[in-house]
Amino acid sequence: MTRRLDDVAVGQELPELRRVVNRDDVKAYADAGGDQNPLHQSDEFARGVGFDGVIAHGMFTMGHMAACVVAWAGDAAAVSAISAQFRATVSMGQEIVAGGRVRAIDAETRTATLELWVSSEREGETEWPIKRGEATVHLT
Amino acid sequence: MRAVNPEAEGRVYPDVKFVVEPDRVAAFRAVFGQADGVPPTFLTAAEFAVLPPIIGDPALDLDFTKVLHGGQEYELVRPLREGESLTVRPRIESVRVRAGTGFVVIAMDLFDAAGEPVARTRSTMIERGAS
Repeated sequence: MTRRLDDVAVGQELPELRRVVNRDDVKAYADAGGDQNPLHQSDEFARGVGFDGVIAHGMFTMGHMAACVVAWAGDAAAVSAISAQFRATVSMGQEIVAGGRVRAIDAETRTATLELWVSSEREGETEWPIKRGEATVHLT
Repeated sequence: MRAVNPEAEGRVYPDVKFVVEPDRVAAFRAVFGQADGVPPTFLTAAEFAVLPPIIGDPALDLDFTKVLHGGQEYELVRPLREGESLTVRPRIESVRVRAGTGFVVIAMDLFDAAGEPVARTRSTMIERGAS
Protein backbone atom coordinates (compact mmCIF):
# COMPACT_ATOMS: atom_id res chain seq x y z
CA MET A 1 0.00 0.00 0.00
CA THR A 2 1.24 3.45 -0.86
CA ARG A 3 2.48 5.49 2.07
CA ARG A 4 0.10 8.12 3.42
CA LEU A 5 0.89 11.80 3.62
CA ASP A 6 -0.18 11.75 7.28
CA ASP A 7 2.50 9.17 8.05
CA VAL A 8 5.39 11.24 6.71
CA ALA A 9 7.40 13.98 8.45
CA VAL A 10 10.41 16.02 7.40
CA GLY A 11 13.54 14.41 8.82
CA GLN A 12 11.96 10.94 8.98
CA GLU A 13 14.53 8.25 8.14
CA LEU A 14 13.96 5.40 5.74
CA PRO A 15 14.72 1.94 7.14
CA GLU A 16 18.22 0.93 5.99
CA LEU A 17 18.49 -1.78 3.36
CA ARG A 18 21.66 -3.91 3.37
CA ARG A 19 23.02 -6.47 0.95
CA VAL A 20 26.29 -8.18 0.24
CA VAL A 21 27.11 -7.88 -3.45
CA ASN A 22 28.07 -11.09 -5.20
CA ARG A 23 29.02 -12.16 -8.70
CA ASP A 24 25.83 -14.14 -9.43
CA ASP A 25 23.58 -11.20 -8.56
CA VAL A 26 25.70 -8.81 -10.63
CA LYS A 27 25.49 -11.22 -13.60
CA ALA A 28 21.71 -11.52 -13.14
CA TYR A 29 21.56 -7.73 -13.10
CA ALA A 30 23.63 -7.49 -16.33
CA ASP A 31 21.18 -9.83 -18.08
CA ALA A 32 18.06 -8.02 -16.83
CA GLY A 33 19.38 -4.49 -17.24
CA GLY A 34 21.29 -5.05 -20.48
CA ASP A 35 24.71 -3.67 -19.48
CA GLN A 36 27.12 -6.46 -20.45
CA ASN A 37 30.28 -4.39 -19.96
CA PRO A 38 33.01 -6.97 -19.12
CA LEU A 39 34.19 -4.68 -16.31
CA HIS A 40 31.33 -6.24 -14.31
CA GLN A 41 31.97 -9.86 -15.29
CA SER A 42 35.64 -10.49 -16.05
CA ASP A 43 38.36 -10.05 -13.41
CA GLU A 44 40.95 -10.14 -16.14
CA PHE A 45 39.29 -7.28 -18.01
CA ALA A 46 38.77 -5.29 -14.79
CA ARG A 47 42.46 -5.66 -13.83
CA GLY A 48 43.45 -4.61 -17.33
CA VAL A 49 41.69 -1.26 -16.81
CA GLY A 50 43.07 -0.62 -13.34
CA PHE A 51 40.71 -2.30 -10.86
CA ASP A 52 41.48 -5.13 -8.42
CA GLY A 53 38.74 -7.24 -9.97
CA VAL A 54 35.13 -7.11 -11.11
CA ILE A 55 33.09 -4.18 -9.78
CA ALA A 56 29.30 -3.88 -9.58
CA HIS A 57 27.43 -1.68 -12.07
CA GLY A 58 26.61 1.75 -10.69
CA MET A 59 23.06 0.85 -11.68
CA PHE A 60 23.21 -2.25 -9.49
CA THR A 61 23.89 0.00 -6.51
CA MET A 62 21.23 2.48 -7.65
CA GLY A 63 18.74 -0.36 -8.12
CA HIS A 64 19.41 -1.32 -4.50
CA MET A 65 18.86 2.29 -3.43
CA ALA A 66 15.59 2.32 -5.41
CA ALA A 67 14.51 -0.88 -3.62
CA CYS A 68 15.00 0.95 -0.31
CA VAL A 69 12.76 3.78 -1.58
CA VAL A 70 10.08 1.43 -2.96
CA ALA A 71 9.98 -0.48 0.35
CA TRP A 72 9.35 2.80 2.15
CA ALA A 73 6.90 4.18 -0.46
CA GLY A 74 4.94 0.92 -0.56
CA ASP A 75 4.60 0.95 -4.33
CA ALA A 76 7.10 1.15 -7.23
CA ALA A 77 4.58 3.29 -9.13
CA ALA A 78 4.74 5.99 -6.42
CA VAL A 79 8.32 6.92 -7.38
CA SER A 80 8.21 9.68 -10.01
CA ALA A 81 11.89 10.67 -9.97
CA ILE A 82 15.13 9.17 -8.74
CA SER A 83 18.74 10.20 -9.20
CA ALA A 84 22.20 9.34 -7.94
CA GLN A 85 25.84 10.32 -8.16
CA PHE A 86 28.30 7.43 -8.12
CA ARG A 87 31.30 8.21 -5.92
CA ALA A 88 32.92 4.85 -5.11
CA THR A 89 33.15 1.46 -6.76
CA VAL A 90 31.73 -1.70 -5.15
CA SER A 91 33.68 -4.96 -5.23
CA MET A 92 32.38 -8.51 -4.94
CA GLY A 93 31.77 -9.52 -1.33
CA GLN A 94 31.34 -5.93 -0.21
CA GLU A 95 28.28 -4.97 1.85
CA ILE A 96 26.33 -1.91 0.75
CA VAL A 97 23.79 -0.06 2.89
CA ALA A 98 21.08 2.11 1.34
CA GLY A 99 19.46 4.79 3.45
CA GLY A 100 17.71 8.10 3.27
CA ARG A 101 15.52 10.69 4.92
CA VAL A 102 12.60 12.94 4.05
CA ARG A 103 13.90 16.35 3.05
CA ALA A 104 10.62 18.06 2.14
CA ILE A 105 6.90 17.45 1.88
CA ASP A 106 4.49 19.19 -0.46
CA ALA A 107 0.98 18.68 0.92
CA GLU A 108 -0.55 20.36 -2.13
CA THR A 109 0.86 17.86 -4.62
CA ARG A 110 1.06 15.07 -2.01
CA THR A 111 4.72 14.40 -2.71
CA ALA A 112 7.78 13.85 -0.56
CA THR A 113 11.33 14.65 -1.62
CA LEU A 114 13.88 12.22 -0.23
CA GLU A 115 17.63 12.52 0.12
CA LEU A 116 19.32 9.18 -0.35
CA TRP A 117 22.70 7.52 -0.10
CA VAL A 118 24.48 4.18 -0.25
CA SER A 119 27.41 3.68 2.11
CA SER A 120 29.90 0.88 2.53
CA GLU A 121 32.66 0.05 5.00
CA ARG A 122 35.94 -0.92 3.38
CA GLU A 123 39.14 -1.47 5.33
CA GLY A 124 37.78 0.53 8.25
CA GLU A 125 36.81 3.51 6.11
CA THR A 126 33.29 4.60 5.14
CA GLU A 127 32.91 4.94 1.39
CA TRP A 128 29.93 6.36 -0.50
CA PRO A 129 29.07 4.35 -3.62
CA ILE A 130 26.15 6.80 -3.93
CA LYS A 131 26.04 10.35 -2.63
CA ARG A 132 23.46 13.04 -3.22
CA GLY A 133 20.79 10.56 -4.23
CA GLU A 134 17.32 12.01 -4.50
CA ALA A 135 13.81 10.77 -5.16
CA THR A 136 10.31 12.16 -5.47
CA VAL A 137 7.54 9.95 -4.07
CA HIS A 138 3.78 10.35 -4.40
CA LEU A 139 1.79 9.87 -1.19
CA THR A 140 -1.88 9.03 -0.77
CA MET B 1 46.58 13.50 -25.24
CA ARG B 2 43.25 12.38 -26.71
CA ALA B 3 39.89 12.95 -25.04
CA VAL B 4 36.25 12.76 -25.90
CA ASN B 5 35.17 15.19 -28.64
CA PRO B 6 33.23 18.26 -27.32
CA GLU B 7 31.87 18.88 -30.81
CA ALA B 8 29.63 15.84 -30.39
CA GLU B 9 27.46 17.92 -28.04
CA GLY B 10 23.94 18.23 -29.42
CA ARG B 11 24.12 15.13 -31.60
CA VAL B 12 20.82 13.31 -31.94
CA TYR B 13 20.36 9.65 -32.78
CA PRO B 14 17.53 7.80 -34.50
CA ASP B 15 14.51 6.75 -32.44
CA VAL B 16 14.57 3.17 -31.17
CA LYS B 17 11.64 1.00 -30.11
CA PHE B 18 11.77 -0.53 -26.65
CA VAL B 19 9.24 -3.05 -25.37
CA VAL B 20 8.75 -3.32 -21.60
CA GLU B 21 8.94 -7.11 -21.65
CA PRO B 22 7.22 -8.64 -18.60
CA ASP B 23 9.82 -11.46 -18.30
CA ARG B 24 12.62 -8.95 -18.23
CA VAL B 25 10.84 -6.77 -15.69
CA ALA B 26 10.34 -9.87 -13.53
CA ALA B 27 14.06 -10.73 -13.78
CA PHE B 28 14.95 -7.15 -12.83
CA ARG B 29 12.55 -7.23 -9.86
CA ALA B 30 14.05 -10.54 -8.72
CA VAL B 31 17.55 -9.04 -8.57
CA PHE B 32 16.31 -6.40 -6.13
CA GLY B 33 13.82 -8.50 -4.20
CA GLN B 34 10.82 -6.53 -5.44
CA ALA B 35 7.36 -8.11 -5.32
CA ASP B 36 5.50 -6.18 -8.00
CA GLY B 37 5.42 -3.19 -10.32
CA VAL B 38 8.08 -1.90 -12.67
CA PRO B 39 11.09 -0.70 -10.64
CA PRO B 40 11.86 2.95 -11.49
CA THR B 41 15.45 2.15 -12.46
CA PHE B 42 14.23 -0.40 -15.02
CA LEU B 43 14.52 2.60 -17.36
CA THR B 44 18.18 1.60 -17.64
CA ALA B 45 17.08 -1.29 -19.87
CA ALA B 46 15.61 1.22 -22.34
CA GLU B 47 18.84 3.23 -22.23
CA PHE B 48 20.92 0.15 -22.98
CA ALA B 49 18.78 -0.56 -26.02
CA VAL B 50 20.33 2.61 -27.44
CA LEU B 51 23.64 3.26 -25.63
CA PRO B 52 26.08 0.89 -27.38
CA PRO B 53 26.02 2.72 -30.76
CA ILE B 54 26.29 6.09 -28.98
CA ILE B 55 29.20 5.00 -26.80
CA GLY B 56 30.80 3.58 -29.95
CA ASP B 57 30.05 6.65 -32.12
CA PRO B 58 33.37 7.68 -33.78
CA ALA B 59 32.17 11.32 -33.70
CA LEU B 60 32.11 11.17 -29.90
CA ASP B 61 35.41 9.27 -29.70
CA LEU B 62 34.82 7.86 -26.22
CA ASP B 63 37.37 5.34 -24.92
CA PHE B 64 35.03 2.68 -23.57
CA THR B 65 37.77 1.00 -21.49
CA LYS B 66 38.10 4.24 -19.46
CA VAL B 67 34.42 4.98 -18.99
CA LEU B 68 32.76 5.05 -15.57
CA HIS B 69 29.15 5.85 -14.79
CA GLY B 70 29.25 9.18 -12.94
CA GLY B 71 25.58 9.83 -12.32
CA GLN B 72 22.06 8.97 -13.31
CA GLU B 73 18.72 10.77 -13.27
CA TYR B 74 15.27 9.43 -14.04
CA GLU B 75 12.02 11.34 -14.25
CA LEU B 76 8.76 9.51 -14.83
CA VAL B 77 5.60 11.22 -16.06
CA ARG B 78 3.87 7.94 -15.22
CA PRO B 79 5.05 4.42 -14.32
CA LEU B 80 6.07 2.12 -17.18
CA ARG B 81 3.47 -0.51 -18.05
CA GLU B 82 4.49 -4.09 -18.61
CA GLY B 83 4.06 -5.13 -22.24
CA GLU B 84 3.90 -1.61 -23.68
CA SER B 85 6.03 -0.44 -26.58
CA LEU B 86 7.95 2.82 -26.14
CA THR B 87 9.91 5.07 -28.46
CA VAL B 88 13.33 6.09 -27.13
CA ARG B 89 14.81 9.33 -28.50
CA PRO B 90 18.47 9.80 -27.48
CA ARG B 91 20.76 12.82 -27.73
CA ILE B 92 24.09 14.00 -26.40
CA GLU B 93 23.10 16.78 -24.03
CA SER B 94 26.59 17.96 -23.17
CA VAL B 95 30.27 17.13 -23.52
CA ARG B 96 32.90 18.71 -21.27
CA VAL B 97 36.59 18.03 -20.85
CA ARG B 98 38.30 19.14 -17.64
CA ALA B 99 41.97 18.36 -16.98
CA GLY B 100 41.90 15.48 -19.44
CA THR B 101 38.76 13.92 -17.96
CA GLY B 102 35.70 13.80 -20.19
CA PHE B 103 32.12 14.25 -18.98
CA VAL B 104 29.39 13.19 -21.39
CA VAL B 105 25.69 13.59 -20.58
CA ILE B 106 23.40 11.40 -22.66
CA ALA B 107 19.70 12.26 -22.35
CA MET B 108 16.76 10.26 -23.65
CA ASP B 109 13.08 11.05 -23.98
CA LEU B 110 10.62 8.16 -23.94
CA PHE B 111 7.19 8.31 -25.56
CA ASP B 112 4.31 5.86 -25.54
CA ALA B 113 2.35 4.53 -28.54
CA ALA B 114 0.09 7.61 -28.43
CA GLY B 115 3.13 9.90 -28.61
CA GLU B 116 2.72 11.06 -25.01
CA PRO B 117 5.91 11.62 -22.97
CA VAL B 118 6.48 8.87 -20.39
CA ALA B 119 9.95 9.46 -18.99
CA ARG B 120 13.26 11.22 -19.34
CA THR B 121 16.66 9.77 -18.53
CA ARG B 122 19.97 11.55 -18.06
CA SER B 123 23.18 9.58 -17.79
CA THR B 124 26.62 11.05 -17.03
CA MET B 125 29.58 9.08 -18.38
CA ILE B 126 33.06 9.91 -17.12
CA GLU B 127 36.05 9.09 -19.29
CA ARG B 128 38.99 8.87 -16.96
CA GLY B 129 41.99 10.90 -18.06
CA ALA B 130 45.26 9.46 -19.34
CA SER B 131 47.15 10.30 -16.10
